[in-house]
Amino acid sequence: MPPKTPSRHRSRSETKTPLTPSLVAGLNSISFASPTKGGKADITNPFISSRPSSPIKRTTTGAINVSDSLQKQARGGVIRKGGVESRLDVITRDYVPPKPSKPPKSETKRSRSQPSRDTRDRFITSRETADDVTATLDLMTLNPQSASPGHTARLAAATGVPINHRILAYHEPPPASASDSLLSQQRDLVRPLYSRPGAQSSSTPSSSSKARRISTQPEKVLDAPGIVDDYYLNLISWSCGNILAVALAENTYIWRADTGDVTHLGEVQGEEQYVSSVDFSNDGQFLGVGVSSGDVELWDIETQTKLRTMGGHSCQVACLSWNSHVLSSGCGDGSIWHHDVRVAKHKVGELLGHQGEVCGLKWRSDGELLASGGNDNVVNVWDGRVGDVASGSRGAARWTKRNHTAAVKAIGWCPWQTSLLASGGGTSDATVHIWNTTTGARLHSLVTPSQVTSVQWSPHRKEFLTTHGYPTNAVMIHSYPSMERVAEIRDAHDSRVLWSALGPAGDVVCTGAGDENLKFWRIWEVPKVKKGKDLKDVGRSSTSSTILSIR
Amino acid sequence: MPPTKQAPTRQAITLKGSTNLVTEFFKYAANTILFQRGVYPADDFHMVKKYGQTVLVTQDLALENYLEKILKQVNKWLLTGSVTQLVLAIISKDSRKTLERWVFDINLVEQPAESAEAAPPKPESEIQAEIRNILKQIISTVTFLPVIDEPTVFNILAYTSESADVPADEWVDTDPLAIEASKSQQVKLRSFSTDVHRIEAMVAYRYEG
Repeated sequence: MPPKTPSRHRSRSETKTPLTPSLVAGLNSISFASPTKGGKADITNPFISSRPSSPIKRTTTGAINVSDSLQKQARGGVIRKGGVESRLDVITRDYVPPKPSKPPKSETKRSRSQPSRDTRDRFITSRETADDVTATLDLMTLNPQSASPGHTARLAAATGVPINHRILAYHEPPPASASDSLLSQQRDLVRPLYSRPGAQSSSTPSSSSKARRISTQPEKVLDAPGIVDDYYLNLISWSCGNILAVALAENTYIWRADTGDVTHLGEVQGEEQYVSSVDFSNDGQFLGVGVSSGDVELWDIETQTKLRTMGGHSCQVACLSWNSHVLSSGCGDGSIWHHDVRVAKHKVGELLGHQGEVCGLKWRSDGELLASGGNDNVVNVWDGRVGDVASGSRGAARWTKRNHTAAVKAIGWCPWQTSLLASGGGTSDATVHIWNTTTGARLHSLVTPSQVTSVQWSPHRKEFLTTHGYPTNAVMIHSYPSMERVAEIRDAHDSRVLWSALGPAGDVVCTGAGDENLKFWRIWEVPKVKKGKDLKDVGRSSTSSTILSIR
Repeated sequence: MPPTKQAPTRQAITLKGSTNLVTEFFKYAANTILFQRGVYPADDFHMVKKYGQTVLVTQDLALENYLEKILKQVNKWLLTGSVTQLVLAIISKDSRKTLERWVFDINLVEQPAESAEAAPPKPESEIQAEIRNILKQIISTVTFLPVIDEPTVFNILAYTSESADVPADEWVDTDPLAIEASKSQQVKLRSFSTDVHRIEAMVAYRYEG
């Protein structure tokens, strides 16, 4: 039976047989393909027949035990000629349909030129014969059952009727990748080790290419004993009058950057109460103080007296933001209140949109929009128009973004392109998203190595700064549209960097951390040719004062 | 489906043997795809000698059990001949779009007519060689498939006949997770056959070029 149905490869090589009979005889004498066994050996054991034939083509003379006659011919150059031609045959004959019944002698040559088993193309496997192809094509068009599944699916989708079969899936989803929590945790821990040298090398050339070096040493360090190491609080604020307010547990201090004087502003009344947030008004005259009891206090900086206490919140006020005479406060219960500090009934608006504690709150400088971030991983942007609404009136968020996967504390409005808002998520998110608040679109995203605790935009450069928690405890500077890292100050503090405030000149950034230090970093230079001469003066004065106070 | 009618003297592959062979093939094919397409991190896989070559198999216990459960049922369906197609769909984790569909058509080999002499059974070594070729081809598809740079999940679909015995609480009807026809490219892969089954492989992938 096997001789009657010769295999395909034999048939293909049949058409051109340039070999001399003597060569054929010589080849036949090689052990692996005896014509008597022929096709049977070929079919039953593909390994034996294909294995020795595939790798060697012209090296046959040395590799296999060759008969003397063949070697003689090889010296005469016959083998080489045959080898090349048989190689050509391979190329041309893949397209030749098979012809039945051929002399078995040609098979030997074929088997030397190509693996006998795999005559199909490497990628187009179904090109067995032309007839076969047309047959399958016919089937595909006529019979949906044997058609390609894509076609079937399309057909099924178009008709809305499943074609006499059911599509089933296992009831539970496959396990998440890296489901081994320990392994994934280890990966996460190991990653910084690998990235550290790379990160440094990548940051150094980019900063050097811009001919800019950012000092990794703080310009000044202030002690902040007893500062509460709580991610959700906002404990430092820097006014336009170059005064830094810092809350240390129940006390509030102000530090005049010009002179280095420290003044104790006040103390929270009540047992176990502490200051949970401070914020300077835009003119720097007043300081809003949020208290853990839910009160919001108003202090006059000039006279260092408390002007009023605005109560009403049920729990701690973790963030404050001023818009002219309106002081907005974000509360632990997720509500945001607008307090009009001028009137007796101070509550002029309530914004309900967060399910968790509000931990980030920033007015845009023009007062049109208010951005808030909450412990419910949501970023909301609210219409800033408070208007003459009655107390208790409720606003709705202009838009709500749920892209973050952790608490959103870092909120920052871009000073030179007012529609830009940056928000950064907590530990399990560690991502900075840049939003266009006009359209609500997410413009950029940046994944950082650790939790983002605050965002500050540079007023003079297309850059922004982020502060980070464990494990890097870093201060990072990114360029804006490219999101490239300009510089990174690793281990800026001994523990997580929790707060940052930008100086009025826009050059020095103050950071606070749980290690009870406030550090001042000169990140950006104030441009010299800018018309803002007064700005520059302020900057210089702040610099000189800090140097003075160090001595 | 009647069992094979081959002469018992030959070392014929029975229906059961063929089913096991096919099931085993699916296991290694699925593992290969999951590794090659990066559905699971590469260090979850370890090397195993199989079919005369090295195959990467997951050592993530959860995934192993999951595949085991699926293949156990597939094995049952194969025995009754009620499964016609298995699809491994690779889906974007975020957008839930189907990015790739690895399709394995399962055809029953027609028994030759009574008049004809029973064909000699296919030697196992030959079947293994065919399986090896499919697995190699799956690996080689990485060269032309679009690069996936987002987290993905996978899903295994079984196309069964209406009458198939379905464990009600384990398998549920689902949509085909098809790729829109206009955005789909298809490449047919090799096939392999035992005396009972013929498996034809194909990959369809999303291509919006």
